[in-house]
Amino acid sequence: MITKFQVAYKNLLRKRVRSLLTLVGIALSAWVLVSLLGFNHGYEASLNRDIDNMGFELMLMAKGCPYEAATLMLKGGTGLRYINESFMGDVAKEPEVEKTFPMLMSAVFDPNKGESGGISGYFGVEPKSFAELKPSLKFRQGGWFTDVNAYEAVMGYEAAELEQREVGDKILMPEKNVEFKVVGILNRTGTQDDGTIFVPLKTLQKMFGRPNELTTIGIKLKKGIDSVRFEEKLYKLPDVQVVSLTQVKDTIMGLISTAKVMVLSIAIIAILIAMVGVINTILMSVHERFQEIGILKTIGAMPWDIFKLIWIETLILCAIGGVLGVGLALLLSKATEVLIRYVMPYAPSGGLVLIDLKLVLFTMAVILCIGLVSGLYPAWKAGRIRPLEAIRSNIG
Amino acid sequence: MGQEACILSRWALILTILLLLTGYSVAWSAVGCDLNDPDRDVARLFPESTGYKTIYTSVVQKGGDPLLTKIETRLGEKFHGIYETIDVPYTVYEIFANKKKVGYIHGVNQKGQFGGIQVFVSLDLEGRIKAFYIQKMTSKYAGKLRDANFGKQFLGLTFKDFDLYDVTSGKATGKVADIKNPAPEAEADFRAALRATKKNLILMDEFVYSSQAGSSNTGAPQK
Repeated sequence: MITKFQVAYKNLLRKRVRSLLTLVGIALSAWVLVSLLGFNHGYEASLNRDIDNMGFELMLMAKGCPYEAATLMLKGGTGLRYINESFMGDVAKEPEVEKTFPMLMSAVFDPNKGESGGISGYFGVEPKSFAELKPSLKFRQGGWFTDVNAYEAVMGYEAAELEQREVGDKILMPEKNVEFKVVGILNRTGTQDDGTIFVPLKTLQKMFGRPNELTTIGIKLKKGIDSVRFEEKLYKLPDVQVVSLTQVKDTIMGLISTAKVMVLSIAIIAILIAMVGVINTILMSVHERFQEIGILKTIGAMPWDIFKLIWIETLILCAIGGVLGVGLALLLSKATEVLIRYVMPYAPSGGLVLIDLKLVLFTMAVILCIGLVSGLYPAWKAGRIRPLEAIRSNIG
Repeated sequence: MGQEACILSRWALILTILLLLTGYSVAWSAVGCDLNDPDRDVARLFPESTGYKTIYTSVVQKGGDPLLTKIETRLGEKFHGIYETIDVPYTVYEIFANKKKVGYIHGVNQKGQFGGIQVFVSLDLEGRIKAFYIQKMTSKYAGKLRDANFGKQFLGLTFKDFDLYDVTSGKATGKVADIKNPAPEAEADFRAALRATKKNLILMDEFVYSSQAGSSNTGAPQK
């Protein structure tokens, strides 16, 4: 026996082009919705991971704009000012502090990078403390520096790939014309470390004429310590500022939220347009089948049966459109990421659009709800058709 | 309907998974060599151009291991290092002047003494070098090797000229032998630039000119 689903499906096939165009409308709105929600989820997850990968909760740096400095640091750029290494000893004495990590970032201009030159960044670290800070870093080749004063370099995977370096090769620091021996190449991490060239802190300090100076001190707190209270304590130190990574995250997320509201508005408009499209398609279909529905009623179909039949048509359209939209979002997630990275002033490393099963199910539920709501009026109208009036009419 | 829908959904699922896997493998594959600013660089390297099309390819896509062996034989040595691999993506810029194809721009990465070297050549439809450009080079003498006068020595040369250049010994006969090293102190980088050019021309011959000629036996571009 033929089911209501089969009847509804066949009805949709009668006007294939119209049904297809409606499907495209629903698919596009589902695509926008999934991509937006996936971005919402993915961006925050990647930002959290980037911050967690830094291995510390607070950063101490010279006075300046903390957010600019923090963003530059997240991007692997340079800090703006320098602080004395002695601060590290002072901070380390605090009972709340588990560990401190000295860092010096320096950049040189490389005139032979591209048409008009470019900046090459170097990151001075103490291998022992840095390895403790980032235990997840694994070496593809070699290992850490042999000496704190050595002219040796450890390269992130992408930096090594771009420079075609292997352990034992040399790199040249432009501007300073100083050679470094590559002693280690890291595995790919999916973070900013991939594009970084690490050199011994002391060597970098010496080369840039900044003995005992740092751009940043990373502070890892003991478990259970309230970072906000400790932050207040650090504010008493002169000429330095404290940047909490939670604060950095909140600020970046605050900036992103404006963009998200705009995209969400577009998604809502797209969904409304799709809804109108669905209502229009089903209403047209009801109108064209005016007589047919009348005949169905004369042979015993109840208003509720007609209502269900029309409602099912809407549901089928929305279900197929939703699946297509989700598929489209999955297929184009990489392209969406490229676009986001192009337009966003700062994007964390790793996936920016995270589409998981929960999100897929949520989107499908939203699209089906929209289908149910959109189908109400056409289905109600179809259910109210009077049989005799319909048969007598010339419509359909 | 039920069975059809089942088959369709199964195919859709398989296709989706395959495409996703391809997407991920592209994201994690070896590094390619692209122009930093294609709009600006294409206009500079091919002044008569009015547009360009970007094509991505690789040895693994174009012929796999047999093609790699062929390229290595023509180059005169094996691909070496952990970054010169069969899956390196190459970007070929097809150049158009008023919708008519007039040539190509193609670049390769090459290991230099102190860092990666990116060597681009623009070629006419017969495979002759129209412009030579080192996009990136790390060397104390990079300025001399990136100088326009050094690049001018490559103009008009084809892969046939570079066939007479031995990448292992650095010895050349014919027109390539006339290319003067402007920085004798940076002999390693000079040789790296020549090797990159030879590799670049061989790859272009295999990817473009041979396939256009319908034969890949000689690799000779057809006039």
